[in-house]
Parts: sequence; C-alpha cells; structure tokens
Amino acid sequence: MTVRTAAGEALRLENVRKVHGTGDGKVDALAGVSVALPAGSFTAVMGPSGSGKSTLLQCAAGLDTPTGGRVFVDGAELAGRNEAALTRFRRSRIGFVFQQLNLLPTLDVLQNVTLPLKLAGRRVDTAHAVETLRRVGLGDRLHRMPAELSGGQRQRVAIARALVARPPVLFADEPTGALDTRSAREVLGLLRETVRAHGRTVVMVTHDPVAAAHADAVLFLADGRLVGRLAAPTAEAVAERMTHLGDDAEVQRARTGA
Amino acid sequence: MLGLALRSLRRRVSAFTASLLAAFLGATIIMAFGSLLDTSVSGGATGAAAETLTTMAAVVGGWGLVLVVFAVTSTLTLSARQRAGELALLRSVGATPGQIRRMLVGEAAGLAVAGALAAVLPAWLAGRGIVGLLHDADMVPRSIGHTFGAFAAGTGFGITLVAAVVAALLAARRTGRERPADPYADAADAARLPWPRIAAAVLLLGAAVNCAVLTMTVMRDEGTMAMPIAAQAAILGSLSLALLSPALLRGATRLLERPLGAFGVAGELAVVSLRRRTRRLAAVMAPIILFTGVGVGTVHLQRTENAALATATDLPEADARTLETLNYVVIGMIVLFMAIMLVNTLLAATAHRRREFGQQRLAGATPGQVLGTVALEAAVLAAVGVVCGAAVSLLGIVPFAVARIGSPVPEGGPAAVVVVAVLAAALTLGTAYGAARRALASPAVDAVTP
Ligand SMILES: Nc1ncnc2c1ncn2[C@@H]1O[C@H](COP(=O)(O)OP(=O)(O)OP(=O)(O)O)[C@@H](O)[C@H]1O
Ligand SMILES: [Mg+2]
Repeated sequence: MTVRTAAGEALRLENVRKVHGTGDGKVDALAGVSVALPAGSFTAVMGPSGSGKSTLLQCAAGLDTPTGGRVFVDGAELAGRNEAALTRFRRSRIGFVFQQLNLLPTLDVLQNVTLPLKLAGRRVDTAHAVETLRRVGLGDRLHRMPAELSGGQRQRVAIARALVARPPVLFADEPTGALDTRSAREVLGLLRETVRAHGRTVVMVTHDPVAAAHADAVLFLADGRLVGRLAAPTAEAVAERMTHLGDDAEVQRARTGA
Repeated sequence: MLGLALRSLRRRVSAFTASLLAAFLGATIIMAFGSLLDTSVSGGATGAAAETLTTMAAVVGGWGLVLVVFAVTSTLTLSARQRAGELALLRSVGATPGQIRRMLVGEAAGLAVAGALAAVLPAWLAGRGIVGLLHDADMVPRSIGHTFGAFAAGTGFGITLVAAVVAALLAARRTGRERPADPYADAADAARLPWPRIAAAVLLLGAAVNCAVLTMTVMRDEGTMAMPIAAQAAILGSLSLALLSPALLRGATRLLERPLGAFGVAGELAVVSLRRRTRRLAAVMAPIILFTGVGVGTVHLQRTENAALATATDLPEADARTLETLNYVVIGMIVLFMAIMLVNTLLAATAHRRREFGQQRLAGATPGQVLGTVALEAAVLAAVGVVCGAAVSLLGIVPFAVARIGSPVPEGGPAAVVVVAVLAAALTLGTAYGAARRALASPAVDAVTP
C-alpha cells in the first residue's frame, strides 16, 4: 500500500465518480468530487436531497465502490481490496453512522454497540461501551431491543456503536436527523469532543444549518459536484448559502461544460 | 388488489417458488395415489386386487395428504411472515384486514391451482409406474390398466386448494396482529406456541403411541399387516415433533449455548438468531424431523420385515422382493418430498436474510464470519432435527421388532441412521451455505435498502 497522501491527511478523494444504475435509469450520483480533509477536522456536508451526500460518504468509507477516481483513508488507498480485506480495514479505521441506522434487530442495545469489537476480534471493553452509551443518554436502556426504542434513541445507539471502536475517521449520515434540539446538541457536542480531545476526524452529512455550524467547515454538494466550501460556519451563513445552492450548481455546470 | 398481489409476488420469487413447489409436489403425490382408486373402480377390480388398490390409495395417499397439508401450510406461513413488514405497510396506508385477507387468499388459491395443474402429467406417470409394480408383484391382474380419473383430479385439486386457502387465512389472521411498519418489529418472533398447535401435537403423539401399542398387542400375530400400523406410529410421531419444533429448538438452544460459545463471535451470533428467530428456523427444522423420522423408520421396518420373512417364508421370495421395492418407492417419494421441502424452505428463509446479513456486514462482519454463523445455525438445525426424528422413529421401529422378531432391537444396525443423518446434514448445510453465499453477492449497502 503506497502512501501518496500528505501527512496529517485523514481523507482524500481524487475525482471520485459514481454512476448508479444502467441505461435509462442511470444516475450520476457523484460527478467527479475531489477533496482532502486534515486529520482532527470536523466537516459537515450539505446539499439538497438526492445531491449525492450519502453516496459520497459511502464511497469514502469503502462501503460502495466508486465508478472512477481514488479514495484514501488515513493514508491508505481503498481500491483493489476484496470485501473481507475492506471490512478489516474499515473495522480498524472507520466508524459509520448510517442514515438508515442498520442496527441488528435481534441484538439489544449493548450487544449492538459491542458487536463491531467482537467481530474484529478485539477485547470488548464493556465499561467503555456502557460509558459511551451513557454519554448519548442511553445508560438506562442497555438491554432494550431496538424495537423497544424511539427513533431518536435508535439513532443514538447507532452513534454509540460507531464511536465505541475509537476509529480515527468517523462518518455520520444525518446523525441528528431524528433528534430533538437538546439531544441533537448533545450528540453534536459528543462529535465535537471526539475531534477536539481525541484528534479524530469527523465527516457529517446534515440538512440542519445549526448542526452544520458545529463543524470547522461545511462542504456544499449539488448534483453530485462540490459547489462550495465555508470555513468557520455560522448557522445564518450556512442557511444563506443553502438557498443559493441551485445557482452555484448551474454556474459550475456551465464552467465545466457538462 | 390482485394486481398488487402479483407485483409483490415478483419481488419475492424464492418464497413464492417454495410454496408453488410444495403445492406441485403435494398434488403429484395425492393424484398419483388417488388414481389407484380410479384404477380400481374403472377396472372393476374385485377381492384382493381391489383391497390392495384401495388400501394403498387410502393409506399412502392419506399420508401424502397429511404431509402435503403440512408443507403447503408451512411454506405459505413462512412467506406471509417474511412479508409481515410489507403487509403492515399496506395496512398503515389504509388497506383493511379484509383487503389483505383477500390478497393473501387470492395468491394462495392461484398458486394451488397452478401447482395442481402442473402436477397432472407427473402424477399420471407416477400412478402408471405404481400400477406397473403392482402388476409385477401379481397383486393386481394385468387386465386392470391404470386409469387417471375424477377421483385423482378431484382430490388433487381439492385438497391442495383447501390446504392453501386455509393456510392463507391463518397467515392473514396472524399478520393482522402485528405492529405496523416498524423495521425492527420483525425481530420479536420468539413468541410462545399457540395452544391449538400444542393440542394438535399432543393428539398426534397420543395417536402415535396408540399405534405403537397396537403394533405390539393386537397386531402382534398379524405378520406383515403390522407394518403399516408401525409406520403410522413413526409418521404421526414425526408430525407431532415437527409441530413442536419451535419449542424443541428453543430447548436445544439453551443446551447448546455454551458449546456454541466456543466458536467465538460466529457462535454468539448463531445463538442470538436461534433464540430470537426461533420460529423461522424451526420452520426449517420441521422437514428435517419428518425426513429423518419417516426415512429411518421405514428402512428399519423393512429390514426387520426382511429378517422375519427370512426365517418364516409364507410369501414367495419374488413377491416379497417386489413388495419391498414397492414399499421403498412409496416411502422414497415421501422422503424425497420432505428433502425437497427442506431445501425449499431453507432457500426461501435464507434469501430473505439478505438484509440481516447486510446489517452484520456493515457492523464489521466479513463475508466469512457471516457464512460461519449461517453454517453453525444450519449444523444445529440438522443435529437437533436428526436427533428428534431418529428418536421418534423408535416409536414405530421398536414395537414392530417386538411383534415381528420378538426382540426390541431392530434389524439393520445403525447404518440407516448414519446415512439419513449425513444426508440431512449435507442437504441443510449445503443449501444454507449456497443460499447465504448468494445473499452475500450484492454489496452490503444495497442489501440493507428494502
Ligand atoms: N442504489 C442506487 N441505485 C440507483 N440510484 C441511486 C442509488 N442510490 C442512490 N441513487 C441516486 O443517486 C443520487 C444520490 O443519492 P444519495 O442517496 O447519495 O443522495 P443524498 O444526498 O444522500 O440524499 P438525501 O438527503 O435524500 O439522503 C440520487 O439521485 C439517488 O436517486
Ligand atoms: Mg442520504
């Protein structure tokens, strides 16, 4: 594995493209995205529904294979590995909070959270898992089944599961989508904290300008392209930018002649 | 609603194929043996020939019937359970229970008619083959040719249709009680067995014990005639345990929890799914019990019978041999049927787990770990099923040995059990592994999107 990325770079995408489907149903979910994120950064990804945010995260995390381009995580290129190798790589470097959560319905809360560690053959630090669950406000629901939880509680289980393996890079697809303002603030504080105190890198998709304002920078996506970047964002600036995203996409398309 | 039903059928081809195959094979057996009655009536059979034809039609056809009802019901129930989410979704957007019931019943009826139609030709051929064997054994005069008539067709279509519709009604009633549209709700299927099912199992077991006692007492001096009664004991007992399979599996899981733990995370996940998805996995174990119970039972009964005949020849040897062949053909059909049901149910059940496997993979499981879990589960199902089936077959084997050769130890040694066990294990593991590999073929992120 050649390390071609600059030191201190947690994630690097080079002209990543992804085409979903074939023939008439073909969708350019990503039309060439290049981005580099330093280690220890907290980045929000925003864009209209269908703009390719989930696809971007999944390609970056090795969950989906890009149609073209290259992906580097923590200095290592993802291409050319089979599923087992990719899985082992993900287990050690990547945490992922899915938009559809993907909790296992047959496992209780604590079992769901410790599963990735068990699968990785790592020692299960139950105390740490319980502490993580406590910090997302689920300390008293360790042995509930997902079916017995509210949507927001499930979302927090998914977040705890992604955090518990202490991955250097964490992707979160709308981690606060089903949360009330207070829980959302707590979860965002938790993500912020993992970046600040532990030097991890967080990439978060969100539709909420207030959530995005917790990040160091916001990337704007429209029609599968990166159309802007905002450093040190405030909720107002983000909201303002979002309303003009359509125009940005037009301009960009005209420029690249697509 | 029917258009909706057809569209939804296309999306779950494997469960649909399982039910269709059960209807088809079941109708084949029922019609093949039903045609023996047509043969008897239209050929004007009298005396021993008429008795042979009627008895075979009634006894074997009757067993075929019971197994068919069982198979059709279990595959249809499985498919309805797999669609619990979809049906709940339909209800949540305003479908009434009546509409859902009509949809399920319409589907089941269509399936039964299609299966029975496809079964006509194979059933006719099989019936002809059996009558041919009976000719060879001089049990039916050659002047009476095979006829496939109203009785065969009537029972074939009628029984398959009724079984399917009743199963659909039961399934509709069950899904009506489920919580609507919660993707996590389908985990809770470890519910207790409903009392009618327990009652039926107890009745069947009582009947089996009764047959066992009859074999040793009333039928003791009746020679060969004791065999069908002993066979009934084995079949009834197997059916009873098949009905109780969720409870048996739950008990076995408790015992096996520790040994499975030795297999690490795969063993742990296997225990979880055995505990939480007991009903669905038990639906796979039921045909294993029937396969083993009927298979082991018949082989040993026939071996014992051979041993008895060898000492006291009251039947010409050629006839004895043909009778043996006939016996194996008949039971072979039933065992083959159960084997196909086993593969069938397992394929359908595993294909439905694509999403679950996807979730495991996204949580960090390699394909190898998923396959390991599936293999462990299958091994448990095969082992528990074979043990239960073999144990319950003793209900027929031992009394018959006592009656025929005066010793409770059956003839034939452990070979039959070993062969049946290996076959059951190979079928279960092979099918589960193959189906799981297919379910793993698509990327995990695609597998979890409904
Ligand atoms: N498996 C798939 N097959 C076909 N098309 C897909 C698939 N997944 C996504 N797409 C398409 O790709 C485009 C980008 O989808 P993506 O899920 O990345 O959007 P998103 O920005 O995450 O949207 P949302 O905010 O609604 O979650 C959409 O047009 C979508 O329809
Ligand atoms: Mg998305």
